[in-house]
Amino acid sequence: MSTTEEGLARWLGEHFGEPVTVDGLRESSAGARRRNCLFDAHLGGRTMPLAATIIPTADIQILDPASEGEVRTVAEDGGVPVPHVHGSTLDGSYVGGPFFISDRIEGETIPRRVLRQAAALGHGDQVVGQIGTALARLHAIDPAKAPAALVVPPDNAPVAAALAGLELAIDGLLKPEPAFAYGLRWLREHRPTEPEQLTIIHTDVRNGNIIVGPDGLRAILDWEGSRLGDPMEDVAWPQTRMWRFGEDANILGGLAGVEPYRAGYEGAGGIWDAPRIQWWRALTTLRWGTGLAGQSAAHLDGRFRSIIMAGSGRRVSELAWDALLLMRP
Amino acid sequence: MQFRPDANELLADIASLLEDKVIDAVSGPLQHQVRVAANLARIVEREVRLGEAAATAEQARLVPFVGADGDLATMRRRLCDRLLSDAPIDDGELAALYDALQATLRDDLAISKPGYDAWTGA
Repeated sequence: MSTTEEGLARWLGEHFGEPVTVDGLRESSAGARRRNCLFDAHLGGRTMPLAATIIPTADIQILDPASEGEVRTVAEDGGVPVPHVHGSTLDGSYVGGPFFISDRIEGETIPRRVLRQAAALGHGDQVVGQIGTALARLHAIDPAKAPAALVVPPDNAPVAAALAGLELAIDGLLKPEPAFAYGLRWLREHRPTEPEQLTIIHTDVRNGNIIVGPDGLRAILDWEGSRLGDPMEDVAWPQTRMWRFGEDANILGGLAGVEPYRAGYEGAGGIWDAPRIQWWRALTTLRWGTGLAGQSAAHLDGRFRSIIMAGSGRRVSELAWDALLLMRP
Repeated sequence: MQFRPDANELLADIASLLEDKVIDAVSGPLQHQVRVAANLARIVEREVRLGEAAATAEQARLVPFVGADGDLATMRRRLCDRLLSDAPIDDGELAALYDALQATLRDDLAISKPGYDAWTGA
């Protein structure tokens, strides 16, 4: 067993209270912020296909792995497809950082492969409908069940918090960008009321954070950005153009139009608020633009020298273009 | 004055070298970095060819909204200040400004991501 396999086996042995061996370890994605390791655990004559999400200790994290495991479990209990979480630890002595362990679910996760599979099987409408249903179920969960670590917007006002955050980001841009200023003015003028009820939101459901098989949607991944917020923010984000991977006419992740997604959301009891969704689409698109601008700033001031971060600065016009399309006068 | 190849010819040569030879000679994260570097060389090559005309056109488009004083950077700053202030702007002027900003973004995208502006849906 490798060092990581040994560490995982040791934790699993303590967790299940019987000897465990681990083999077949491979990294499913070499993310900068977290390692996703897939492996087999053997105990008591059976084999469990598992996945470990490991967060290097020194790294910045949005949500600690124990709380991320907790929110996944709350979502699973609410009927959202999530890989079942077996447990988590903040102890870095097992594998060099905190981690949680969940079931390993087979299927496609790489966006272009997800698109190819949907094109071959013709099940794009079904998958986006299932995404809509999953979001409606998440938003139906009593927010009192949310793990204590989930961020709550100040004064329970997610619209104000998002606007304030965007204002700060636009103010900090290296170059004044008129399209962003236009966008911020539009967002202020079309600002919706604060939502009556905050819900748990995932904040990053999209093609790229889902597992899809021939039978359709199998799981929603990457819950580290979860917080309390306006459910329409969650409904807006999967529609962002960048998650269509070139299939622009298929608004929902390049997979299908918005209608089956809406039907899935409403069919599971979600309330679809079109103007509010439009507002969140515009805001999150601009916010992602300021994020790309921030990456180029981190490169230029030496915090994170990287040709990829440098290139992000030259993608800002794409997000400005997409945002303006959502803000026609 | 520098002899030929000129700047955009050299940038195209660098991009071709990265795309045709280097990408296949490396792997993993470095391969992704080389691909991004090649794309950036292509962007700068187009900027050398198209950037000056784009800036002149952008400046002309902004005159009706912020006057003609100062250079392009000053005019952009003035426009941002105006948009972010509470002073009212009537609907007709906002619509004209929207068109001007879209026209400028088309020129920007012709440099940074040709073809991206073909999509005009939601």
